[in-house]
Amino acid sequence: MTHGSSVHRTVSIEGLSRVEGEGSLHVEVRDGVVEQVALNIFEPPRFFEAFLRGRGALEAPDITARICGICPVAYQMSACAAVEDAAGVTVSPAVTDMRRLLYCGEWIQSHALHIYLLHAPDFLGCADAVELAELDRAAVERGLAIKKIGNLLMATVGGRAIHPVNVRVGGFYSAPAPPEIAALADPLRRARDLALETVSWVAGFDFPDMAGDYHFVSLRSPRHYPIESGRIASSDGLDLSPSAFNQMVVEEHVARSTALHARLAGQRDYLTGPLARYALNSSILPQVAREAATAAGLGPVVTNPFQSIVVRAVELVFACDEALRLVESYEAPNPPATDVPLRAGVGFGVSEAPRGLLLHAYTLDAAGDITTARIVPPTSQNQITIEADLRRVVQGALDLSDADLGLRCEQAVRNHDPCISCAAHFLDIMVVRA
Amino acid sequence: MTDTVIGDPVSKASRSEDLPRVVVAAMGSEYRRDDGAGLAAMAMVAEQCPDVLVGGPLCDPLDVLGMWDGADLAVIIDAVSSGAPPGTVHLVELDPALSRPPDDDQRSVGPNSTHGIGLVGVYRLARAIGRAPAKVVVVGIEGLDFGQGVGLNAAVQEGVTHATRHVVELIGEVGRCA
Repeated sequence: MTHGSSVHRTVSIEGLSRVEGEGSLHVEVRDGVVEQVALNIFEPPRFFEAFLRGRGALEAPDITARICGICPVAYQMSACAAVEDAAGVTVSPAVTDMRRLLYCGEWIQSHALHIYLLHAPDFLGCADAVELAELDRAAVERGLAIKKIGNLLMATVGGRAIHPVNVRVGGFYSAPAPPEIAALADPLRRARDLALETVSWVAGFDFPDMAGDYHFVSLRSPRHYPIESGRIASSDGLDLSPSAFNQMVVEEHVARSTALHARLAGQRDYLTGPLARYALNSSILPQVAREAATAAGLGPVVTNPFQSIVVRAVELVFACDEALRLVESYEAPNPPATDVPLRAGVGFGVSEAPRGLLLHAYTLDAAGDITTARIVPPTSQNQITIEADLRRVVQGALDLSDADLGLRCEQAVRNHDPCISCAAHFLDIMVVRA
Repeated sequence: MTDTVIGDPVSKASRSEDLPRVVVAAMGSEYRRDDGAGLAAMAMVAEQCPDVLVGGPLCDPLDVLGMWDGADLAVIIDAVSSGAPPGTVHLVELDPALSRPPDDDQRSVGPNSTHGIGLVGVYRLARAIGRAPAKVVVVGIEGLDFGQGVGLNAAVQEGVTHATRHVVELIGEVGRCA
């Protein structure tokens, strides 16, 4: 690596830390201008779409859940939705509510993990969560306490904290008795209070000055902040069904990545995840989350990607509050699952994983076996935008040493909480300065 | 074997008693043959020492933090594959020096992924927040077959019995299991 006034500068990060999976980053700068940013994803391909071919559609939720240990519910929900869509079945409102409640558990787990153990150390000059714990033990304790309540919610509704076993096409294998769900209320109130403290904590961080020119894409639903269903909306006015979105998403292979790069046909790259969800749905956040966002200084749209940690914390408040709402109105679905008679057809399922929009598209034959499967995870959709972010970050921070620039780049990648394991479908960094 | 509720340090009455606190956790899958060795040993320990807090299979390594919570003794049992004869029992006591900041080689493995927060990472975090047990012993039971299916190989089942005896002795040393 070289640094300073030399003509050519390379920054290379050979193993990006605190992201899910394995990747690297290579940046080349010539005469003070960033020439190349390459996010190399070398985690071996996972082949889950191929695994699904020839398998019964009812197996899809359990097979695809294994794509990720952080967001298995997202895979289960999108899979269920796709199969039910192919079968022409609509589940009961009580099942929809119970799915949303389970999904809140995953958002609480994932957001608490990312905020406290993965992203916050960047803002406080800590190498990792252990250093952060030595600096601010109470903060890490708070994060772990929130995550634990998310685990409790997942275990109660889903059967266990990781890779829930209670989900099936059509609904659930069993519905928890109302007293079991009612017992979640006090822990969720505690989690909501801790999440509000989290918003105040992260809002006090120093954020590098940057504004992304984002094309936001997320689910949108009329009444509730999107989680388990909705239509696909964008910041430039798209309003698409899952089927139309599936047609519009174009994925291409690039040599440097085992994850496909997605963009919308005929359009530029786009961004999914908390910043997109918030930009397109902040007006329908519950009051407690809106007030927390306002108190943290957020407007209705946030374009500084480094402030994604604040948006994620606001979503954490939302997830706790929403889970509490669902707990307080819980009625055990009876039956716990709707019968789903399989037939030949095509189905599409979308939901909001903690880190962004997740699309499943399946074709079923008359026996109910999957003949084709397509899974478009959030990180595939965000890769091009992450590279664009990195280009801006490097261009605006060329005065930094290579080491500091490398750290800033890693932080910028973590802004979007990428899950390389899901997408490889992650990170070593190299910056070449010329 | 069913999942045991984990991460709740007060799910046994031991907290209210003025006795050493012991936590025994296991990893693995009973549906991948010998990978279930740790769970089988944990179940046997639970039968012989009913007052210890047991938990497993651990899904999220961070869950062990909630279980440990400053225990006097923590044992983690898992199947291993080191090339030793099947059924061999390995006992490793974690070195408190692991709580020091890792060197570059350790960092390259540890923090790369939340999927990869391993036992050492969790132990370091536990030390940093004051929840580390006074003593942590990892018990490895050498497996042979990690394919799909249930049931342990005979040599591995024998290893489970030996591992259980070692763990019960460890618990006895802190006065928690007769």
